[in-house]
Amino acid sequence: MSDFLELMVGAAASGCIYALVALSYLLITRPTGVINFAVGEWAMVAAFGGFLALSRFELPYPVGMAIVLVAMASVGWITERIAVRPLLEKGAPPLAPILALLGMLVVFREIVSVSMGPDPQPVPPMFGYGRLELGLVAGSYQSFFIIGVTAVVFGAAWYFFERTLAGRSFEAVAIDRRAAALMGINLRRVTTLAFAGSAAVAALAGLMVSPNVSAHYLMGLPLAIQGFTALVIGGVGRVEGALLGGLILAVAEQVTVRYAPIPPGLAQGVPLVLLIVFLLLRPTGLLRARESRA
Amino acid sequence: MKSLAGFLLAGLVLSAVAFMLGSYQTDVYRKLLLWITLALGYNFLFGIAGQVAFSHFTFYGIGAYAMVILLFQVGLPLPLAIVAGIVVCVVLALVVAIPATRLEGFYLALATLAFAQLFIVVLNEGGSVTGGPGGLANYRLPDILGVRVTGPWYTVVIVFLLLGTLAVLWRLDRSWFGRACRAVRDDPQAAQAMGINIRTTRIVAYAVTSALAGVAGMVYAFVDNTVNPPIFGLENAFLLLFMVIVGGSGRPAGAIVGAILLYLLPFFLSPLIGHHHALVFGVVMVAVVLFQPKGLIGIWDGWMTRRRAA
Amino acid sequence: MNARGRQPGHGDKAVASTQARPLLVARGLAKQFGGLQAVADLDLDVHEGEILGVIGPNGAGKSTTFNMIAGALEPTQGTLVFDGEDLTGLPAHAMAGRGIMRTFQHNKPFASMTVRENVMVGMHRRLKGSLWRVLLAGAGVVRAEREAVRRADELVSFVGLGDWHDADVDTLSFGQGRLLEIARALAAEPRLILFDEPAAGLTPAECERLTDIIRQIARQGIAVLLIEHDMRFLMGLADRVVVLNFGRKIAQGTPAEIRADPAVVEAYLGNVGAMADA
Repeated sequence: MSDFLELMVGAAASGCIYALVALSYLLITRPTGVINFAVGEWAMVAAFGGFLALSRFELPYPVGMAIVLVAMASVGWITERIAVRPLLEKGAPPLAPILALLGMLVVFREIVSVSMGPDPQPVPPMFGYGRLELGLVAGSYQSFFIIGVTAVVFGAAWYFFERTLAGRSFEAVAIDRRAAALMGINLRRVTTLAFAGSAAVAALAGLMVSPNVSAHYLMGLPLAIQGFTALVIGGVGRVEGALLGGLILAVAEQVTVRYAPIPPGLAQGVPLVLLIVFLLLRPTGLLRARESRA
Repeated sequence: MKSLAGFLLAGLVLSAVAFMLGSYQTDVYRKLLLWITLALGYNFLFGIAGQVAFSHFTFYGIGAYAMVILLFQVGLPLPLAIVAGIVVCVVLALVVAIPATRLEGFYLALATLAFAQLFIVVLNEGGSVTGGPGGLANYRLPDILGVRVTGPWYTVVIVFLLLGTLAVLWRLDRSWFGRACRAVRDDPQAAQAMGINIRTTRIVAYAVTSALAGVAGMVYAFVDNTVNPPIFGLENAFLLLFMVIVGGSGRPAGAIVGAILLYLLPFFLSPLIGHHHALVFGVVMVAVVLFQPKGLIGIWDGWMTRRRAA
Repeated sequence: MNARGRQPGHGDKAVASTQARPLLVARGLAKQFGGLQAVADLDLDVHEGEILGVIGPNGAGKSTTFNMIAGALEPTQGTLVFDGEDLTGLPAHAMAGRGIMRTFQHNKPFASMTVRENVMVGMHRRLKGSLWRVLLAGAGVVRAEREAVRRADELVSFVGLGDWHDADVDTLSFGQGRLLEIARALAAEPRLILFDEPAAGLTPAECERLTDIIRQIARQGIAVLLIEHDMRFLMGLADRVVVLNFGRKIAQGTPAEIRADPAVVEAYLGNVGAMADA
């Protein structure tokens, strides 16, 4: 039983990482309709940033983390300026920014591969490698750290969207871009904020997952797929959907690996199969978007 | 206007080149021809039918592995293996087409991305059937009627494949079906109002192009005489997309130009940037999308229009 | 040269008589959206060669009716019989395949194609056939394509876009785009054409031309149903008019009869200006 609970803690931690990636997509997709394939690479770059700041330069964890987050937010902003804004303002077909971001995915990956080499690099966790026991529930420090941070981030995201004016303007842009612009909402600012925020969230995911898996230049795409699967499962419309989807995906993965009589390699197929199934049967995900104004 | 004579001439010229090359150049030439074949098919699927799919290269892999498995694991004689291989490609293409084409735009892209990754996972876990992560190697094309088809003669086979694919796609493009594909891409609602069955059109476009990719894969199996999972991964799927976009999406000439450029470019760039050609591809891709969405063919068209006006 | 691309004398009919069996028969047509009854208990006939106008205030159910006949919406109740065949609930492409073509109020051309190619897409129901024949490309297929190009060019000229065969559709004005919609619909050799507010957005001169074209189309024996807000345009063109209000038919008859009908006048009381124009 305690074994199962510890599995659940690990699953919850993984689920939180997926949820963060899903949130990263959501932050861009809702206001702009652009699907950013490059979020996985953002997480990967952040992981390497963590390696540099924390392992190479041995900065204290909070400082290193802050630097990486700010740096990645800037990367998000730059990405938007170069690859997305010119297309949105030119009235290019919706596919165009997605393709441009796909190109950026490759660019990010190659830049890291060129500068940092093909070997995985270690990133230290915030509280070290210890194990924590809270009654029946036990898990690594890192797992609890991930769960805690994710809870804070999602809480903040929920608050932002529900209670703040800036967050409501995001919603407005998501519902109707032109109407929002006509009401005086600054589309550029929303888009910039969206990209910067998305990159910061992706960076968080990358920083927190890499102590377990090391920073590696190929880690982006699998993470992006897992994150997107979480998004599809949970529902594209709501922030809570990202969290729900991430947790469901992670639990499904862990349970399959531990208890199903299939070779562990095939377990990698679980998110893929889930994604395909959900896309075919219930593409809107489990949670409905809230804006059903006729 | 390609006529039978045109095709025969092209076939002769391309085959003649095969006999003039040394063994290293032959390898490059063969792979170039195969990439052009793939790019033509993908151009039809993505550029003309407007389906954003990442599964094209996966079907290439399915064809390659199917050929090797049918010949050497199942032990079929060559003619039977060829027929069986084609059947496998067509059937699988249809089986995937039917659910896949219910999805649009981004959802289709994601589903085919997942499908492509799933294929790699299955290959890696396939044990002795697929050879696992190391793949299958150390085989060669069986003799046909006692004759070993090798060297430039096998290149001729690839030339046939390329021209055959081109002919099929050309005919489809220049017919009511090609127009229907474009109509569905441009405006599905208006296409329906013209009597076009959107589902059927999409299914046929997906199935035909995927099956063609599979057949190309069957031919590829004997180029390196090895098949392994990394070859058929997403890297090459992205590269195929880049080729079509950089060359000019929706135009066969664009696919040819894009394939030639992006395949040969690394050979010229490697003194400068070693193995990291992908960086250049990514940058070129972003540049094309931002500044010249019609691709290189678009530049050519613009130049021709200006000359005509002058 | 007439709208069907054939020489006059083949299949031309005199102005339709209402005694002849109607081509399209709609009985008890109804459409419900959740709690809203958009159309209820609607009976409608359209005869070959007849121009039937459907009018009514905003929200009367004209578009809903139009879309049900076009196959874009499935009726909640009622039947649609076309040339003796029950087509109720068939999807849009099946309706088009049987010769019921429609135009769009907000022109929907195929943006990547030229004018001629757009019209050739309209021929889909005539041109489509076995894909094996396409691949084998016998002389028959080649001939059919050439013939299709020729007919497309004729239609393009018929609607008045004579010099624009090779033009990209984004170079057309709105009025020209409307003409393309018509040419495209005619390309299918339809038996019934549904016009969705064809005069909307056109200049008076363009309306004149449109009236002329629609009259010629009806003269060839093609049944025409058009919904329209522009009273003057419709009353001058239609042989018969059906008036809808709140999803129901409130009057039917010739334009003169409709103008005098008290129920119609009352329905438009909030829209006195519109009636005055008619």
